[in-house]
Amino acid sequence: MSLAVRIIPCLDVRGGRVVKGINFKDIVDAGDPAEAAKRYDAEGADEICMLDIDASFEERSTTIETVKSIASQVFIPFTVGGGIKSLKDIDMLLKSGADKVSINTSAILNPKLIEEASKEYGAQCIVLAIDAKKDGEIWNVYTHGGKNKTDLNAIEWAKKGQDLGAGEILMTSMDKDGTKSGFDNNLYMELSNNLSIPVIASGGAGELSHLVDAVKLGKADALLAASIFHYEEISIKKVKNALRDEGFEVRL
Amino acid sequence: MRLGVIDYGASNIHSVARALQSLGSKVSIVDTPEKFKKIDKLVFPGQGSMGSCLNKLKETEMINPLLDAIKSKPFLGICLGLQILFNSSEESKEKGLGVINGCITKIKDINKENLKIPHMGWNNVKIEKKHELFSGIEDKQFFYFVHSFVAAKTEAFITTTNYGEDFVSSLATENIFATQFHPEKSGEIGLKFLENFINWKI
Repeated sequence: MSLAVRIIPCLDVRGGRVVKGINFKDIVDAGDPAEAAKRYDAEGADEICMLDIDASFEERSTTIETVKSIASQVFIPFTVGGGIKSLKDIDMLLKSGADKVSINTSAILNPKLIEEASKEYGAQCIVLAIDAKKDGEIWNVYTHGGKNKTDLNAIEWAKKGQDLGAGEILMTSMDKDGTKSGFDNNLYMELSNNLSIPVIASGGAGELSHLVDAVKLGKADALLAASIFHYEEISIKKVKNALRDEGFEVRL
Repeated sequence: MRLGVIDYGASNIHSVARALQSLGSKVSIVDTPEKFKKIDKLVFPGQGSMGSCLNKLKETEMINPLLDAIKSKPFLGICLGLQILFNSSEESKEKGLGVINGCITKIKDINKENLKIPHMGWNNVKIEKKHELFSGIEDKQFFYFVHSFVAAKTEAFITTTNYGEDFVSSLATENIFATQFHPEKSGEIGLKFLENFINWKI
């Protein structure tokens, strides 16, 4: 018996409302985060992820209210990311009801944050999020929501993150994100072969077969998607049925 | 009826408290020895390592009132709250509470499946013996797990789960129930389980 492949709908949130970017741009407003989370829970989501886009200090109180609102209504694992810079930020989010935090840019600027957070709260609640784009033969890491290129190799950075104490890697392919043309399975396979912690694949889901392939070919442990679930293009149940038909364990 | 949730300063107790409150329960946070007197049932939601948990319980002088409560009140231990009931753990030099005989061991990858540790995610819970806390819950349902250590054996087992090896995913003695999984994070089925605990009469 193995663990069920996790299906994680992601709520991109700005100012307390759900939005979804296409290639990180052109954001459309569409809904209340707690209502959306409840709907996903009822549809069989295995976890809920909330990403606070453009989270800034001024908007922190809104974020905290949204986290509390979701956590008091939905009783499955709940990850929160966006603008997390310090142990204090992490502490506040965990106390507000997040089970895990996802850290992206801040981990690159200050890798010690992953190490210290993992020691303080345990590896299981620290998700290292990476935005990667293929440049030639290698995948480079980008920061600030995909705006700035770094010199980091995405596979190497994920390995470093694991060594620092991250419990999971959430890897978004910027080449694929918003394109609905399928996941970057080579990236996930490379990652899975190099890591001993779970890999969450994100970016590119458009059809049912894309999600199945990310598990089959990319060996992803979990799949994260926003727009296909948000606009009800593909239901979580359909994804799980398709995975089950291919012989993968799912929670139905 | 008043439910107490133990807070020894290290565990994320809020998700358990929220889940119980969503079921209509009155929940009190128990963080001093005195507060044990005011509660009818006790939930121990552990997280982190056993050694630091025991040290924090000692610092807050809650070991003795906790042991008294475990003897006399309906008790639900979750995750580390299950492991701490045992005599000892490979994770810690500190002795456990010794309420259940046995030792907690690191998850073993018996079939060399390159298992990822911690065991994190949704896994099947096989009901081996009937128990009130599983009433209305079908066999082999998925519950949410996050842990690296397990109780491999105890006669008190109620359910088992397989990850690398078969381990005890829940156990019970008279007034004690303990789970390795997190009912507060196991969706509808987890809430049903917690509701059964709220209604549990000994």
